[in-house]
Amino acid sequence: MNPIAFDLTLPAQIISFLLLVWILAKFAWKPLMAMMEKRRLFIQENLAQAEAERKEAERIQREYKEEMRQARQEAQGIIEQAAKTGEQRAAEIVEEARRETEKLKASALADIEREREKAVSEVKAQVAGLSITVAEKLLRARLDLSDQADLVDQFIQEIGDGRPC
Amino acid sequence: MHETILWQVGSLGTIHGKTLVMTWMAFVVIFVLVFLGTRRLTSETPGKLQNFLEWIVDFVRGIIRDNMEYTKAAGLHAYLLTLILFVFVSNMLGLIPNIFWPLFEHVEFAKLDEIFHGAALMSPTADVNTTASLAVLTFVLIIAYGIRFHGPKYFKHFIEPNAIFLPIHLIDMVAKPMTLAFRLFGNIFAGEVLISVLLMLPGIAIFGGVVPMTVWLGFSIFIGAIQSFVITVLTTAYIAQAIGSDEH
Repeated sequence: MNPIAFDLTLPAQIISFLLLVWILAKFAWKPLMAMMEKRRLFIQENLAQAEAERKEAERIQREYKEEMRQARQEAQGIIEQAAKTGEQRAAEIVEEARRETEKLKASALADIEREREKAVSEVKAQVAGLSITVAEKLLRARLDLSDQADLVDQFIQEIGDGRPC
Repeated sequence: MHETILWQVGSLGTIHGKTLVMTWMAFVVIFVLVFLGTRRLTSETPGKLQNFLEWIVDFVRGIIRDNMEYTKAAGLHAYLLTLILFVFVSNMLGLIPNIFWPLFEHVEFAKLDEIFHGAALMSPTADVNTTASLAVLTFVLIIAYGIRFHGPKYFKHFIEPNAIFLPIHLIDMVAKPMTLAFRLFGNIFAGEVLISVLLMLPGIAIFGGVVPMTVWLGFSIFIGAIQSFVITVLTTAYIAQAIGSDEH
């Protein structure tokens, strides 16, 4: 028998196959592809979302880092400021203390001077008084002991000569 | 080797009954496969069969993408999917032992007793009518897509670069579907002939035939898969040629 024999099988097969294509396209491939497309979109959406979230997270991290840096800078500034203020204050205190000391020293010197002057004048007064007393006592003793007459004579002599004693 | 069982269709002519019945069996197999695969369609986690179908869909999409812009031939996708599935299942059908023989042994309706006679089923693609019908459809698609993308200008390429080339173009046009049909038919028909021959090994040698039979069935599975791929790729390539004939 001849294996290559064309007959009505050919159109029958064409019709059968087209029918199969139509049925499968309608009931299988279309819903299947729609489902695949749906999944594709779902995955795409998820990926986009993940990407957006990643970017958002990165942004937040950047912000935090920036904030942290600023805070650190601020803290540094505050510490520096405090150190400077402290130094200034210390210098001021030292300066004040020095001034105070100067003042105290000056007033103490003045006091001493005054006291000294007072003591000197007192001593002077006392010395004067004492001298007078001593002189008095000495004179009295002399006058008592020696010849007053001689003395008087002498005075008179001297006065008569016009010479100061 | 299968005897040709003829159905008389009135006075119009004859139909190869066995081929047609086997074609419908292939359809049934495909329907069952596709029905089970798309029964619980989901876009989340597909089942094993849905996964398999999706793999075929992606595979055929890859074939189309290799040849042309996918958007131009999106309508071809369903056709090519059906083609590769049908040819593959058809090729496999001829390798299956005739398990239906007891069912139809005494059914004389439509010569079913004769159709289901023999050791193995028959591949519809082992009949040149089946492969020729697929080739005719490819031929129609080539011209349809050529006209769709180039209008009447499509026919101008038959006389390019010169009218002298018209016969060559015509031969090319006829040779494409012809080679398509006879390549598939030849491969599968020869495979079935060899299966019949191996089954004819006489007497004690029947057991000896187990080894060559196993080897040959394995090889036939390979051939069947390759041929289903080849006819799909070539159909795509021919149509791509018609679509992009003035762009290359």
